[in-house]
Amino acid sequence: MAQTATQTTSGTSYPIDIWGLLIALAMVMVASGLSWLMHLGIGKTLLWSACRALVQLCAMGFIMGYVIKSGNPWLVLILITGMLVAAVQITLSRAKGVPKGLAGPVLLSLVITMLLMISMVTELVIRPHPWYAPQLVVPLTGMLLGNTVSALAVGLSRFYESMKERRNEVDTLLALGATRWEAARPSIISSIRLGLLPTTASLASSGIVTIPGMMAGQVIAGGDPLNAAKYQFVILASIAALTLLADTLIMVMVYRTCFTADDQYRDKPVVEHRKRNR
Amino acid sequence: MSTHLFSARDMTCALPTQEGEKTIFRGLSFDIDAGEIVDLVGPSGSGKSSLLTAFARLNPHAGGTMFLDGRPSTEFTPQQWRCSVAYLPQKPVLIGDNVAEVIRLPWTLAIRNEQDDISPDTNHPVDPQAHARTRGKRRRSGIWGAVHNGVDMLPDDKIRATLDAIGCEDINLGRAPHDLSGGQAARVSLARTLLTNPKLLLADEVDAGLDDDNAAKVAAILSDAAQRGMAVIRIRHRPPDGVATRTVTLDEGGLR
Repeated sequence: MAQTATQTTSGTSYPIDIWGLLIALAMVMVASGLSWLMHLGIGKTLLWSACRALVQLCAMGFIMGYVIKSGNPWLVLILITGMLVAAVQITLSRAKGVPKGLAGPVLLSLVITMLLMISMVTELVIRPHPWYAPQLVVPLTGMLLGNTVSALAVGLSRFYESMKERRNEVDTLLALGATRWEAARPSIISSIRLGLLPTTASLASSGIVTIPGMMAGQVIAGGDPLNAAKYQFVILASIAALTLLADTLIMVMVYRTCFTADDQYRDKPVVEHRKRNR
Repeated sequence: MSTHLFSARDMTCALPTQEGEKTIFRGLSFDIDAGEIVDLVGPSGSGKSSLLTAFARLNPHAGGTMFLDGRPSTEFTPQQWRCSVAYLPQKPVLIGDNVAEVIRLPWTLAIRNEQDDISPDTNHPVDPQAHARTRGKRRRSGIWGAVHNGVDMLPDDKIRATLDAIGCEDINLGRAPHDLSGGQAARVSLARTLLTNPKLLLADEVDAGLDDDNAAKVAAILSDAAQRGMAVIRIRHRPPDGVATRTVTLDEGGLR
């Protein structure tokens, strides 16, 4: 993990050795020990997640190192595809109470936002050479996916939960002549708002309370703090915009699963694999 | 087909269960004329509500052939149909911050604003008073489509007059819906649907849980509407109140 040192243009970087990793892990162990003493019941999950994160991060570090060194655009493509598939799986496993068969819409909204991210941020703002520069494209995709995955999972769970809670309201609206879009709109709005909450919070607090991960990373690796701040702003702004887009896209694609073709409320949402009627 | 205001043929409803399907009713026929009030009675669980929601095309488990003024239901969009054949649920769901907003809700929907989306008349000089009256009456919000608040189509004084006319002098337009008593909430819900002027009103136990006083008020409102030509089907559990022109019983999947 000391490779970052070779990428910097100025200053020094401080690589982490195996003891550093063990100390971090020991902190997690102490914390889960405390939680065991306090009967919080979260210690085991915390420890397990930390071990998992360590393995996953190191694996990604190795793979990214390999892809960056090879400079092969096809390897970049394969890596991003793998990340997308994992993102769909994680979104669906985190979203509670959603109908089966949403993998398609989730993948579509992730792909659209990811392509926009790469074309706008990488090719319009940063303009690297070569255009597929793996050390840019892969981390950017990762950061975008991290945000959109949780926004989509929260948004989807909230939407279906809200449609269930608002059952009587939806029926009343439909009886008064509302379209399914009008009947679903309050649920759509509240789920997009909830999905976007962490993103807007991080936008507002960045720089004052928090030094966001990407900026912190660049500074620790010896980069120019102002440059790091500019990078961080571009990333935060585009992630906020694209998270909203991803959430809106998925809602437009899935809200009709709660209704029949005749605009009737359905108890159990169904994903229909046939051509739309209108 | 027929000269009835509303006709239903071969109405069928089957609920999905674990062992397949449970038929609630099958092959029902029903006709009603303008100005009629029909009481629909029957044991609970016999499918009275299912029949009314089927009439309003709100029931995903029901099917059949229906006609309004001789026109088949398939010629209407679901929204057009439900504007004429209005289902009034048993539990009043009042959406809005105050009674005026609750009653205006139907007028904020696209179905009642479709012909109304013409740009305002620019030939007339702007009247500041009129401007103040219409301020914020509608705004556009991108892909969400036009959002109307319905004030221009249903001003406060018209709501007030209508509420007074149906014996709701006790209900203040500025009240929050959750502050209303059960009887008041039921009457506001009824007034909201009545003001949309449907041809057929499907009233699902709107007087259930009301005291005799409020139940009598609701019955008077409905018989008034029927005198003006509205057809009404009521589901009732109370003893007959003399308002209905006839009574039909739904039992064991058939109408008697």
